[in-house]
Amino acid sequence: MAWRTSWLIAVRSLRRNKLQTALTMLGMTIGVATVLTMISLGSGAQKAIQEQVKAAGMNMLVVTAGNFQARKERPPDDAIEMGALRYADPSNKPRLVMAAFHPEDDPFAVHDHQTARSRLGDSEAGLGSAATLTMADSEAIRKLSGVQYVCGGVHENVHVVSGDTRWFTRIHGDDSTLPEIRRSWKFTAGDFFSERQERNKDQVVVLGTVVATKLFGEANPVGKTISLWKQPFKVIGVVTSSSWMVTPVEGDDQFDAVYIPVTTMHSLLNLSKLNDIAITTQSTGEVTKVENTVTTLLRTRHGIGPDKADDFTVASQAAKALSSGGLRPDVASAVTGNVNGLEKVTLDQIGKTLDKSSRTMSALLASIATVSLIVGGIGIMNIMMLSVTERTREIGIRRAVGARANDILLQFILESVTLSLAGGLLGIVIGVLGAVAISRSVQWSTSVSLPSVALSFGISAAIGIFFGYYPAREASKVAPLTSLRFE
Amino acid sequence: MPPVISVRDLTKTYQVGTHSVHALRSISLDIEQGEFVAVIGPSGSGKSTLMHILGCLDQPTSGQYFLTGRDVSRLSDDEISLVRNQQIGFVFQGFNLLTRTSALENVELPLLYGATDLSAAERRKRAMAALTSVGLESRWDHHTNQLSGGQQQRVAIARALLNNPSILLADEPTGNLDSKTSVEVMEIFQMLQRERGITIVLITHELNVAQYGSRLISFKDGDIVSDTSNADRRHASGELSDMAAMSDVTEGVA
Repeated sequence: MAWRTSWLIAVRSLRRNKLQTALTMLGMTIGVATVLTMISLGSGAQKAIQEQVKAAGMNMLVVTAGNFQARKERPPDDAIEMGALRYADPSNKPRLVMAAFHPEDDPFAVHDHQTARSRLGDSEAGLGSAATLTMADSEAIRKLSGVQYVCGGVHENVHVVSGDTRWFTRIHGDDSTLPEIRRSWKFTAGDFFSERQERNKDQVVVLGTVVATKLFGEANPVGKTISLWKQPFKVIGVVTSSSWMVTPVEGDDQFDAVYIPVTTMHSLLNLSKLNDIAITTQSTGEVTKVENTVTTLLRTRHGIGPDKADDFTVASQAAKALSSGGLRPDVASAVTGNVNGLEKVTLDQIGKTLDKSSRTMSALLASIATVSLIVGGIGIMNIMMLSVTERTREIGIRRAVGARANDILLQFILESVTLSLAGGLLGIVIGVLGAVAISRSVQWSTSVSLPSVALSFGISAAIGIFFGYYPAREASKVAPLTSLRFE
Repeated sequence: MPPVISVRDLTKTYQVGTHSVHALRSISLDIEQGEFVAVIGPSGSGKSTLMHILGCLDQPTSGQYFLTGRDVSRLSDDEISLVRNQQIGFVFQGFNLLTRTSALENVELPLLYGATDLSAAERRKRAMAALTSVGLESRWDHHTNQLSGGQQQRVAIARALLNNPSILLADEPTGNLDSKTSVEVMEIFQMLQRERGITIVLITHELNVAQYGSRLISFKDGDIVSDTSNADRRHASGELSDMAAMSDVTEGVA
């Protein structure tokens, strides 16, 4: 017998019992909608954690020119103690500051850093100022696997002038990819410069919100012209922080600053160096791996022999965040309290811990949802069982006009599958709407993925078959004669 | 040509607790093409059991049943279902129509089962033709609860006729109908026998209904008591026109 006909039979009998059909479908709908909403909440939370990790720069590496590692180096035994400083200011408590200097830091000593000497021959081979990184390095890093965005930067101080207003601030020459790396940025007006503007060395500038306020007050600066180094620059955007953790203040490096294409900066100032290269990795777990490949790559490119030190420093943001207290105090203490030796904490560990916890939450949500699906499925079974008894006479009529036992079996299974699929589809619609509504109203992040929709659909079909089979088999076993006698 | 129905030594024994009830005791019977057989007997005489076995709704304890020459007493459930679908039409006392379903969909029902795979349009056409033959074409979209008892029984007859069965089995078809509607249903049966040569087996406990048949078989205690051709047969169409005339007269008087 053709499937089409069986399906027609099933649909016709569902139509005969509209209220029952609707109520049974409702159970299924609620089940599937719950599953979908829960999954989307779970994976939304997972994504949110990933996003926050990325926004906090957990997937970020910064390669800085030069190799000056004050924090990591313990003062050597032969360090000279320069003495104590005493504050006479009565508002400050008198305190003793011990300063230890490395012999190399002696301003009168000859600088003895091997690569710095070979490249620069000067004593300023400090962090960021050595001209050891180039645009070509940044291009090469971009091609490594696991690397998401690369942004080379040159940083200077500058006077920003608009009419009679002047402001002394930081200037960053960057690649157009910078907003991708700075996840917590948002543009109050305009946008960042494009790749094309970068290529063309256009004289365009993006203002940090502090600078914009200083120069233009509340007015929208986009489209206005300011001057840097007596050159006209067109303002194309204003950037501010979207994170509650960071408030733009005077003197900060991100928002009391202006941004211009690195190419423009190079050509105007006749430079070719980069102070640093910011790198983001595609996943938070790969930071350590990428860190190693970047180091290897740069060592090769700079021709540094195996016994020589790097002429650059690769630092990960997470290590900085952990040591400088960028994390919330309770999180930081939880992390440090559980790990022996903070230095041993790798990004992989942090990433994996966060992933694990969000996965635990997803599993919890999914198990709650599964319960509601099972309840929906039992609802279907209940109704189908009831209808087998209730519809004994109908079964008898069908058998009398020639329905085989298998036709009855198929009809009842198709009825329950149709019920659960129709309920499931409705549930998917409601679930998606619910997820959107939740993320709109409570500001929770949700994420409806195609696999989770497919999963819900598959589950509802499976429930229809699973919970429909037993009642259907009972129905098909009813003998034609007994069912006709049944009043 | 073999008889449409041929039954040999048919026995049916029900096991009720420890003792057995003999519903049929070794029945042998031949029914020829085009006969209108009325089986009469009190309740418990075994006539309903016979009808269930003839309709392949039940299987005999022993004996053979040849339907159009083929032994159907020992077929598998699927084969029996196909026989019911293709060769047998049922009309029941309680109509046995699907509730909350239109007359047309009820009539279509046999076409949804069985080997044939017809298009929706073809099914509809044939169901409409069957409804037309019982005079209900104008009410095809009425649900069963919107139809009178007589109309419901006509829908059931249309359904029974849909696959051009070899036999039409009617189990107390007039049991739930008033006398005038009963005559109307009998008229349809007689018309089917007369014009289309359909073999009809009518089960009833009322002699005046049985009298519409061309042959009378009476049952008692699971056995055939008598099997005669009906000498003074009633003719439903004549009775109907008499009734019409009568009501004309009474209406004229009033």
